[in-house]
Amino acid sequence: MGTGHRTLVYLLTFWVILTLNFLLPRLLPGDPLAALLDPSSSDYVYDPDVRAALAAYYGLDRPLPEQYGRYLLGILTSDLGRSIRLNRPVAELVVGRLPWTLLLVGTALLFSSALALLTGTESAWRRGSWADRGLVSASILLANVPVYFVGMMLLLLFGARLRWLPLAGGRTPFARYPSALAAALDIGRHLILPALTLTLAMLGAKFLLVRNATVNILGEDFMLVARAKGLPEGRLKWGHALRNALLPFVAHLAAHAGMAVTGAVFIETLFSYPGMGRLIFESVTARDYPVIQGAFLVVSAVVLTANFLADLISLRLDPRLREGKV
Amino acid sequence: MMLMVQDLRVTFPLDGKTGLRAVDGVSFDLAPGTSLGIVGETGAGKTTIARALLGLHPPGCVQGSIRLDGRELVGLSEEAWRAIRWRRIALVPQSVGTALDPVYRVGDQIAEPLRYHLGLSPAEAWGRSLELARRVGLEPRHLRAYPHQLSGGEKQRALLAMALSCAPDVLVLDEPTSGQDMLSRARLLGLLDALRREGGMGLLVISHDLAVVARLTERVAVLYAGQLVEVGPTAEVFQDPRHPYTWGLLHAYPDMSTARDLRGIRGAPPDPANPPPGCRFHPRCTQAIDRCRREEPPLREIGGRWIACHLGGLQTLLRAEGLRKTFSVDGGEPEERVEAVREATLDIREGEVVALVGETGSGKTTLGQMLVGLLPPDGGRVVLEGRELTAARGKERRAMMSRIQLIPQDPFDAVSPRLTVAEMVREPLDIQGIGTPEEREAKVRQALRTVGLPASPDFLARRAHELSGGQLQRVVLARALVLEPKLIVADEPVSMLDPSEQARVINLLKEIQTERGLALLLISHDLALVRKIADRILVMHRGQIVEEGPGNRIVTRPEHEHTRMLLEAAPRLG
Amino acid sequence: MPGTFSPLEGERLSGNFHMRPLNGELGFGLILLALCSVVAVLAPVLAPYDPRAFSGQPLERPSRAHPLGTNDVGQDILSELIYGARVSLTVALAAGAGTVLLGLLVGGMAGYAGGWLDQALMRLVDGMLSLPRLPLLILFATFLGSGLPQTIAVISFLFWPTTARVVRAQVQSVRQRGYVRMARQFGASHLYVFLRHILPAIGPLIAYGLVTSAGQAVAMEAGLAFLGLGDPLVQSWGLMMRFALNLPGLFLTDRWLWWLLPPALCVTLLILALALMGIGLEQNLNPRLARRWR
Repeated sequence: MGTGHRTLVYLLTFWVILTLNFLLPRLLPGDPLAALLDPSSSDYVYDPDVRAALAAYYGLDRPLPEQYGRYLLGILTSDLGRSIRLNRPVAELVVGRLPWTLLLVGTALLFSSALALLTGTESAWRRGSWADRGLVSASILLANVPVYFVGMMLLLLFGARLRWLPLAGGRTPFARYPSALAAALDIGRHLILPALTLTLAMLGAKFLLVRNATVNILGEDFMLVARAKGLPEGRLKWGHALRNALLPFVAHLAAHAGMAVTGAVFIETLFSYPGMGRLIFESVTARDYPVIQGAFLVVSAVVLTANFLADLISLRLDPRLREGKV
Repeated sequence: MMLMVQDLRVTFPLDGKTGLRAVDGVSFDLAPGTSLGIVGETGAGKTTIARALLGLHPPGCVQGSIRLDGRELVGLSEEAWRAIRWRRIALVPQSVGTALDPVYRVGDQIAEPLRYHLGLSPAEAWGRSLELARRVGLEPRHLRAYPHQLSGGEKQRALLAMALSCAPDVLVLDEPTSGQDMLSRARLLGLLDALRREGGMGLLVISHDLAVVARLTERVAVLYAGQLVEVGPTAEVFQDPRHPYTWGLLHAYPDMSTARDLRGIRGAPPDPANPPPGCRFHPRCTQAIDRCRREEPPLREIGGRWIACHLGGLQTLLRAEGLRKTFSVDGGEPEERVEAVREATLDIREGEVVALVGETGSGKTTLGQMLVGLLPPDGGRVVLEGRELTAARGKERRAMMSRIQLIPQDPFDAVSPRLTVAEMVREPLDIQGIGTPEEREAKVRQALRTVGLPASPDFLARRAHELSGGQLQRVVLARALVLEPKLIVADEPVSMLDPSEQARVINLLKEIQTERGLALLLISHDLALVRKIADRILVMHRGQIVEEGPGNRIVTRPEHEHTRMLLEAAPRLG
Repeated sequence: MPGTFSPLEGERLSGNFHMRPLNGELGFGLILLALCSVVAVLAPVLAPYDPRAFSGQPLERPSRAHPLGTNDVGQDILSELIYGARVSLTVALAAGAGTVLLGLLVGGMAGYAGGWLDQALMRLVDGMLSLPRLPLLILFATFLGSGLPQTIAVISFLFWPTTARVVRAQVQSVRQRGYVRMARQFGASHLYVFLRHILPAIGPLIAYGLVTSAGQAVAMEAGLAFLGLGDPLVQSWGLMMRFALNLPGLFLTDRWLWWLLPPALCVTLLILALALMGIGLEQNLNPRLARRWR
């Protein structure tokens, strides 16, 4: 699939998501949106300003196509509605929360990938040894333990018992920082546990993938030939084996970009970390529909972008995907 | 001597049990500037040997000795091996698609050993790769491409360039032309041949393709089930194979010059995890004796060739020396003497199909009858399996004659019109007194089935006049088979049958011959017919054998005038 | 030897399944699962109280009467835990079955029919796979309501594409085997071919799919309940965790030990059991081929 074709597919998928986002609340029985404005329903919004904003945003009295049009227009002008609970524009909330999530997920992805690539390769190289078997078993365990369980254990150990790390939050509340470094350190301290949890949550599956892919690669003819060439061990491991293992690894990343987000939701909830995940959780609890929908859109967009980037990297990494014979 | 391999054994562990001996006691050497071929069927252990020479097997699998310029390589550490690999011994692997890393450019992979072994800079290494590429007939654009963009032939040449990069002392080629079309093959072989002549390197060519080995090597070693069975100069071994397996291999090989049909070796290669006891080839060998089943034959030198066979190689089954026969013509006139056969000398080897062709009156039938002992010769002798048939008497003679059977021209003349089919086929057993009546019945039925005739009571009760020519000829064949002979002499077996029947009976003869490992002497005037199944052809004219040689040679490059005449006269369509 | 690879280990995937006897992983997982099932079935017998009954004071510490203490409204935690097994197993079974059925249906049709139907269905599958799971799940859960049936339906709806893909691949490969074409030649109907040839060939695959989706479903359900999107009327393990976490200062006392940890452990063990079974079954799908040596 060429780059152009791929781009089109991604745009199409995003459009499907947009439309789904639009249709779902409107098509359901009990009309949740209408309930917001209906005094007799349990979801009735009391604040008249908010009610007015909602009525304006959702435009429920207009015909459906018009609602759709206004909705799409809103997306383009970054008008995602207004939060019921906090009475602030959704877009503003999202912009405030998104960087935290990106920091969390980015850090975790970086560390889990690096660790998985390094240990997975070495483990495959020493296939069958005690270390390898131990790591494989541990990874299977890790890959199946729910992320919140891991988080809980870490929180307990480092937060509550040992008191080394803060229990919650992105940074110390009401803190004022004398310098950027001090700010970074504080954020860093708060980032450690959530990031560690997410790293561990992702590490299991990544390790297994790298290790198994590498084991298969080691059985290929070209590895034998490389060895026959008398190349040093390092070159064989990293230059040939790992380099080839990167291909399925990146494909896995692309396919599982959504997993990272899933993990983030749980972790931010557990650690009260001020990211998108927590936002989703809070707004779900409060049935804050505009925020839910807005957050859902943004998260989907981020995931799709990540997928897309991973696809592009795949193209760069694997010459076989590019067309043309000599 | 550069490379000396002695008693190489490679064992792979199977789960739990003792291992699978892929290579079992192979020895050979390679001098600088010479070439050696190793041939064998798939699974014989050829690639295992190739890999052992580069130390690619897990530690503990390889035993024996591999010496390079006196230095022992077996048991070296991985570190020590790295210094030797590619620099001293290089491998051109079978390019089964994945011998090159798919993510790097071809040129980079050729340059890789230059950088790591010789410490060249990237630019220098690339330059050297371009030179190597030119040498093998590749262009710069091939080097810039990725492996999947190259054709099979181009990849093979790239692998060759890669192997030559560090100027190794020994170059091992593993199936250099497998999977390639004829043109690429030809080009590659030309290239390799040129390389060989440039000299200096020792070349080890491992292949199941005999033509490749014939072209590229001076000496050849034949590998069967992990052991060497014959070693010798390539041209000689291929022209005159001495080990039964080599002989079978050569006859199974498709060759542009052969008019003959392919003939596989009966049986199947042994399971490497469970080889047969004694000589590994004995279940498929036509001349196996008891000793072959028990003892492994060592590789011994016999007349300039190394052969692993208790019997010293292919045995001559029948040898006729200086046979003469003269007939007197009755009549009142001064006696006329016809010299039917003059000083005929020939031999027939185990499992061989020999055709004796000539026109009517050339003496072939007379010769045939002398060979089976039906007609006493006036001079010369016939030796069957080492014992003289012509001198034998009594029980010994009877026993020998049962080893060689005749199928005459006219089936109706060969059988009594009074006997039933069952009685006809059973007759030899009755005469020799072999087995109980039930056993004889069973053999009769089996023989009939072998020739494709029904063994029903109804058929068994028929008489000669109730059968067609073809059926009767088959009955005669069944009768010949019932004593389990080693040689069948068929005198014009199909000339009295119609064409479609002819083809069927000839094919049947061939099948039985292959399956049972019989030798067959086919006497015929019809060259076109015999060339399909004959390994050797003898041409007879006026009582003398005027030409003899391999079937395909006789047919394509006849030397004697009479042979040419026969060929000209042979029926042709269009 | 590091980095070496014995020629005997050059195994490749094969399309042929053959069942090996019960191996370690499969057995162990099965035992755990059986244990859980027994607890679930015998819940009324095993649990000391009705989990919905307010059998004690709120937040009691563990005692003889309440081995795991009580929750914030005075319900016995142990009983909640035991009855929670029912919920998780129901979800596992129902969602697993739902996923597999949908996957079988769509994947089977696509693989068997081929042509435009295959293309269309695969576009659908690809599309669904490219949507981010949890956000969708949350979206659906929010708007569809949080009853257990809805949760199960939504989970099935989101997980079937993966199964469909795998089923389709296998069905395709079986469909073009000689014996299937021969059967059609003999006049067999599509249904016959499907039941007699295709279904047995994908049997192990279905078992594997069932087990793995069941595991994922349990994790998802617990996760949703944990987030507060589950059915508040159903006392699942996830919900227990949710309520526990709602308690301020949970980690500052050791209350988490008997309220938060047990349900978390139970969820983990059940997921692990199913995952182990999956691994055990997977080994039956990729049998080590006869050793090749060259």
